[in-house]
Amino acid sequence: MDGYFGSYAVVGALLLIGVGIFAGAMTANRLLRPHRPTPEKLLTYECGVDPVGEGWAQSHVRYYVFAYLYVVFAVDAVFLFPWATVFAAPGFGVATLVEMFVFLGFIALGIVYAWRKNVLGWT
Amino acid sequence: MIQSIDYAAIAPPLILALAAGLVLLLDAFLGRPRAPGFAALGGVLLSTAAVAWLAVEGAGRATFCIPGELRGGGPASCSYVADRFTLVISAVMLGAAVVVVLLSMTELARGDVPAGEWYFLLLCAFAGAVALPASRDLVMLVVSLELVSLPVFVLAALRRYDGRAGEAALKLFLVSVVSTAVMLFGASLVYGVTGEIHLERIAAVLAGARFTDAVPAPGAGAPVAVAGVVLVLAGFAFKVAAVPFHFWAGDVYRGAPVPVAALLSVISKAAGFAGLILLFTLAFPALRGVWGPLVAVLAAATMTVGNLLALRQRHAVRLLAWSSVAQSGYILAPLASADRGAVPASVAYLALYAAMNMGAFAVVAVVARTRAGNELDDYRGLWAVSPWSAAALGFFLVCLAGLPPGLAGLFAKIVVFREVVAGGLGWLAIVMAINTVIGLYYYIAWAGRLFAAVRPGRAVPVTAPAGVAVAIALVATGVFSALPQLAISALG
Repeated sequence: MDGYFGSYAVVGALLLIGVGIFAGAMTANRLLRPHRPTPEKLLTYECGVDPVGEGWAQSHVRYYVFAYLYVVFAVDAVFLFPWATVFAAPGFGVATLVEMFVFLGFIALGIVYAWRKNVLGWT
Repeated sequence: MIQSIDYAAIAPPLILALAAGLVLLLDAFLGRPRAPGFAALGGVLLSTAAVAWLAVEGAGRATFCIPGELRGGGPASCSYVADRFTLVISAVMLGAAVVVVLLSMTELARGDVPAGEWYFLLLCAFAGAVALPASRDLVMLVVSLELVSLPVFVLAALRRYDGRAGEAALKLFLVSVVSTAVMLFGASLVYGVTGEIHLERIAAVLAGARFTDAVPAPGAGAPVAVAGVVLVLAGFAFKVAAVPFHFWAGDVYRGAPVPVAALLSVISKAAGFAGLILLFTLAFPALRGVWGPLVAVLAAATMTVGNLLALRQRHAVRLLAWSSVAQSGYILAPLASADRGAVPASVAYLALYAAMNMGAFAVVAVVARTRAGNELDDYRGLWAVSPWSAAALGFFLVCLAGLPPGLAGLFAKIVVFREVVAGGLGWLAIVMAINTVIGLYYYIAWAGRLFAAVRPGRAVPVTAPAGVAVAIALVATGVFSALPQLAISALG
């Protein structure tokens, strides 16, 4: 188990053990359980509700803008978290605080533009 | 750690970014369709003034440097440097940007494109184009290059319900994303080997220096570094449409609005070349034996294939697209020589090419308004109805071909020839000479159509902004024809 490729052998062995456990459990289950299918049992399980329609569903294009804006803000929020942990630490001052608000200002500009262009209204 | 930022050094891209925000606000609150255009023009001119001020001051400012305690005994390695190279390339970009904004004013007069978004995206691309030649680390380089590329996809598609524009935007998007992925992979390999992102530090590590214990010091021939350099080169070859990564150019230029095609052929291309020059001369000089021959072969293939494709074109913008691929080959050629004069020669060609090509695109944009087909045959007899437009286009085409009285193109070619020969690449000089002759044919055939004696079609009305755009390009090309040393000795 030494050397460059030896470390891959460990990965391979783990993979085999994993597959073995999974296959063993499923096979044991198969052998032990009774097998009496009914149409209801074969139905796709969806939170206890009967599935309706096809898997391919259309949603209104208006959701696109909201989903898009959500993604923009979700991604930008990622930058806020590391900043929030350090901006009060020694060595960082008012400049650090102001910088983040400059950044937020640029994002707010996008929202203001979307609002003025009536993108945020539903109708 | 807080860094002090030299705002004078970053003024050119900063002004453009602020102008982009202003354009959005003007469009949202003022409701005057022409206001964003003038705000954009003002931003570009102000940014040009900042570049001019930095050039006059001549101090060579730098900012975003590594703080003293983190240098590890190495150089200060600033991420943003406003030296002579930066300022010359920025000036070329901004000159082209003025023409693109003026052409946009004519393009947007039809009202089927939202003005606020258009100018916002234009200014974002310009900000990236001006930040790129100042970038001196891998992260800044990639971010700036993406800032140039991303807005252009949307700009190409902004004329809605136009199938060709949508196709152009999608092709450009896919090509650009793939090339970015390839380039990033290469850059990450280089970073992995050297442990540095600053260009001068990468060069030092590849030459044997060490600033950190995190990575083992590689020899200059480390295979991973070589793979990284080749991948980065391939990524940039996509951006500048060098053969064999050229196939997107024709359809994209043809489908996009003409000002966007002009932006792609000059600003986007110059950005690609600026990045290429910075990376290869500042970060990878130790591996010149690897990329030098590759660049030579790329240059020869690019000029030949571009010219052969241009020979067959019947559409004006497609012809300019393939001819600009061929011109990329001439710009690449000096870089292949290991000489000190290589970068000045490439930059001089880039500046002269930018002036001539912007002019040709400006006249084509004017003609495209009344002759929507924009075939080469639509230019027959243009001289009889619009002598000024025809004369201007004729001059730009003769310049691109490199014939007198278009001395700008001639001098550009001479500079490149001299550099290639001095670098000991005789075969490349011969390929260039043959290609210059091929280029003569299609440029002159187009110029000849302008003066053909046929039943004249409708006159081509020139709007005021487009007229100013053509005049600027004409003055720039004229000045370069009379005083080529302005471009040739721009880098000393």
